Amino acid sequence: MAFEITIPRLGWSMEEGTFVRWLKKDGDVVKPGDAVFELEGEKAAQDIEAVDGGILRIPATAPQPGTVVAVGAIIGYLVGDGEQIPGPAGASAPVQTAPVVAAPAPAPAAAPSVRRMARELGLNLADVTGSGPAGRITAADLRPARPAAEALVSVRSRIASPRARRLARELGVDWTRLPGSGRGGRVRAQDIMSATPATGAATTASVTVPGATIPISRHRRTIADRMTYSRQNTAPVTLTTRIDATNLVSLRQQFKAAGGDVVPSFSDIVIKLVSMALEKQPLMMAQWAGEQLVIPEQISIGMAVDTDAGLLVPVVRDVPSLSLMDLSVASGDLIARARTGQLKAGDMQGGVFTVTNLGAFGIDAFTPIINCPEAAILGLGRIRREPAVVDNQIVPRDQMSLSLTFDHRLIDGAPAARFLQTISQALETPSAWLLSSP
Amino acid sequence: MPVETSLPARSVVLSLYRTMQIIRQTEEELARCHQRGLIHGACHTYVGEEAIASGVAAHLRREDVVFSTHRGHGHALAKGMPPKELMAELFGRQTGCSRGRGGSMHLFSPEVGMMGTSGIVGPCILQACGGGYSFKLMKTDNVAVAFFGDGATNNGAFHEGLNMASIWKLPVLFICENNQFATEVPFSYAAGNPDVGSRGAAYGMPGFTLDGNDVLEIHRVAGEAVQRARTGGGPTLIECKTYRTRAHAEGMGDFTYRTREDVEEWKQKCPINRLRRTAVESSQASAADFDAVESEITTLVKDARDFAEASPWPTAESASRNVYSEGAAAAIAAPPPATRSITFTQATHEALAEEMKANPLIFVMGEGIGIRGGNFKTTAGLYDLYGPERLCDTPICERGFVGLACGAGMTGTRPVIDFMFADFVLDSVGEIINQIAKMQYMSSGRLKMPVLLRGCIGIGHSAATHHSGNYYGMYAQVPGLRVVVPSTAADAKGLLKHALRCDDPVLFLEHREILSIKGPVPDGDYEIEFGKAAIVRPGTDVTVVALARMVHLTLSVCDDLQKSGISVELVDPRTVSPLDVDTILQSVHKTGRLLIVDEAFGPCSIASEVSAQVADRGFNDLDAPIKRINGAFTPTPYSPTLEKVVIPQPEDIARAIRELMAE
Repeated sequence: MAFEITIPRLGWSMEEGTFVRWLKKDGDVVKPGDAVFELEGEKAAQDIEAVDGGILRIPATAPQPGTVVAVGAIIGYLVGDGEQIPGPAGASAPVQTAPVVAAPAPAPAAAPSVRRMARELGLNLADVTGSGPAGRITAADLRPARPAAEALVSVRSRIASPRARRLARELGVDWTRLPGSGRGGRVRAQDIMSATPATGAATTASVTVPGATIPISRHRRTIADRMTYSRQNTAPVTLTTRIDATNLVSLRQQFKAAGGDVVPSFSDIVIKLVSMALEKQPLMMAQWAGEQLVIPEQISIGMAVDTDAGLLVPVVRDVPSLSLMDLSVASGDLIARARTGQLKAGDMQGGVFTVTNLGAFGIDAFTPIINCPEAAILGLGRIRREPAVVDNQIVPRDQMSLSLTFDHRLIDGAPAARFLQTISQALETPSAWLLSSP
Repeated sequence: MPVETSLPARSVVLSLYRTMQIIRQTEEELARCHQRGLIHGACHTYVGEEAIASGVAAHLRREDVVFSTHRGHGHALAKGMPPKELMAELFGRQTGCSRGRGGSMHLFSPEVGMMGTSGIVGPCILQACGGGYSFKLMKTDNVAVAFFGDGATNNGAFHEGLNMASIWKLPVLFICENNQFATEVPFSYAAGNPDVGSRGAAYGMPGFTLDGNDVLEIHRVAGEAVQRARTGGGPTLIECKTYRTRAHAEGMGDFTYRTREDVEEWKQKCPINRLRRTAVESSQASAADFDAVESEITTLVKDARDFAEASPWPTAESASRNVYSEGAAAAIAAPPPATRSITFTQATHEALAEEMKANPLIFVMGEGIGIRGGNFKTTAGLYDLYGPERLCDTPICERGFVGLACGAGMTGTRPVIDFMFADFVLDSVGEIINQIAKMQYMSSGRLKMPVLLRGCIGIGHSAATHHSGNYYGMYAQVPGLRVVVPSTAADAKGLLKHALRCDDPVLFLEHREILSIKGPVPDGDYEIEFGKAAIVRPGTDVTVVALARMVHLTLSVCDDLQKSGISVELVDPRTVSPLDVDTILQSVHKTGRLLIVDEAFGPCSIASEVSAQVADRGFNDLDAPIKRINGAFTPTPYSPTLEKVVIPQPEDIARAIRELMAE
């Protein structure tokens, strides 16, 4: 039988070698162990010994001295006496020379920072001519090509932590407009939180069964982050008091009886009265900003709305400028949009104080959580007709609890108590307060 | 030529001839295949040395074990590995003896007692000692055999292994195949005493120097040695002078260091032809007998090659399997509530004592761990219960007894190496990384490696630089190892129990400065799984990941920080391999800030790894750069004032946390 003579691998990584010369002639008898040809590998030229025996047949297409040959290439045969070189392959022994592959065009050279800049400017580096060493593209090369000078400025002017960017994305906040409180002006998570009024939603009222796991929605995460942030970054104290709401109930009934298109809700009346109290005690809406307290210019008040998607706090803008009727229209619109998921991020920003009402659920007093960066929040309890002592007589009166949580970092107990007292007076005599408003 | 006065029985002669023919013909076919490009890596043939493996293995039972070298094809075949499994392995196929993971230098077939060949010179000597130790402990009369070349006799493993085998009278044969070149360096140049057989006397064991091409003489002497080993007579050293008549590896040049004439002369001394000639001359067997064997083997080898070539390639999915044992994980009960307080050392002692009582295959080796009870009281009182075989004091030869532990683990026992200080075990890192860590993988999970390596780490009390190393980061870079760095007594007990029950090699590293710290430890049996971090203290503002003593130092500043409004969540990974990155990520998701406190050196450390993982997978949770505090990048100094500044101090940790909050 005929044995093939192949190019062996000399050393582990050799893929091709240089055929140096035959050490035997065509027709010579070769014994196993005889050196048959010389091959140059990676390290040195070496005599290659036959592993089989036979008569050497060198085909016409065998490699010439100096030819590069691939490992495994068949360069000759050892045949028995009178035997032919096997098959058509014998006529054209498949000497494999290493193919020359054109190298792919290299990507243009540019530093990572330049690549990033190009990405952010939407430029393709392949279209840019590099002026640096060996055609390297530099930052300067991008400038003539950039579409607008403004783009570069916005890219380079600000830094935000990855967490802050994520929160900003989730809350729909433009972080590039916020002052950063971190090192070197870095915008941090807390800066995003301070700039955002309460928003988000709980898990929808889906059926929950024992043992079920409920994925945490982004809204729920946001609520959790904001609640946790508030608890950790404020010094909340809650004051509660009970007031006589008979006049308030009576006033609302008068609006109803008047049969107008719009009937203000208890909350509308309270929001209006709270804005008046805030005008008297503006410290109650102070906000902590770096090394100073800032009193907002405009009294906009948030109202907590329970929706299928969870808690939302839309903001009624510039309450002092609104008549009670205007306020009622505005709040009605906000509530309707909150419940249909049509609030925009801007509808929930800019509040300086929040009113929340759990009276409908039979709750009297509770401890509302401050809606950062605001300084206080007022919780309304239920209105209930209860026996009261008036002029030594037990008479039925409408009673209501108020719960005021304030940030003791900014506001001391006495002024907060005075503020609650002011609100109490206003709610007990609402007509007089409303009529005295400009 | 010595006169063979009495030949063994015809069946023995033909059997020896058959084994040698299997080796010779398989090797020649492999050489042919290598030239054809069918073998992908190295191929070290055994041509010319066939008499040695054949003569020794003829006395071995299936349960006896062989540990071998990079030139191990002959040993595997002689021990009973079918040629087709060897060829398929070199072809890189799924049906190979190592499932395509090993190639020429990593041949495993524990099913027939072929415990592995190695690309490293020396370890097989120590592993054979381990096999012998297992057999002694399990009270069987099996023997272990180490085949190695002349090169290994100039290596420390030879010295350490022969000494251990001698002092413990282990049932081991040390077979030195002196083929006169260690790779291409002549033994006559490399050995001060070129007579290996005579070195047996230096270790107090019988030593022989034989003609390595005389299979009958090898067969005779090896038979006596195996009998001696089986009957408690201890180890034997046998040097067989021989020659390989092919290059060191196929494809390598051969005549830069020896001559064609030398090779030709040795080819004439072919051990196979010699046996045939002797037997025919003495009429013990006929030429026809030998021809029949030869032609049977030719068919066997041809079938083997066909099998190899037709075999499937291993699947890509299998590339990462069997790095660790894949047995069904036993249910791990949660620790019951703790009712008492004991020290870290008491806790690990309890774990060891309980497991040694439950499992007679556990034995402890180390310096002074016998009667003395351990430098750190790790084995106090256990010697009285379990005696010197299970509480085995060692010579100071870390490489030796760690290599022995590897062989013991491969052969069914469960060694615990108590190396006192982690610095000492650096002498055996080759055994840990090249052998112990890789053994389960290279054997495609057919060998288990239940080896526990325990000892102290950590800086303190002016121990200076050879008693202070923290090397867990280095070990954590090696696939196949489990690396445990506990910080509390309860964790230490649960983790050590788990280590003593799992089938993976475990480095259990105990910080010396926390050994006497007491902590609540549950009564009763419990384990702690590897790869589960502990939330040592929950918090909301900053995540601190700390290890070992640094857990305690970090904890000491948390209350103060809380008073100034900084709530620290402290995470102790407890094991650094596997590393519980998920728990760290969950914490960073909550806090947005990460500080890693690690006494070990910073570069390429656990701190680096945690940083990289969090930067990658937790990028959007980060509200500040990741910060690290590591021990100073310096050898550990002695003077207390110097020592203090190379260790992270509580005030450094507190400052770093405050700075991180301001980022």
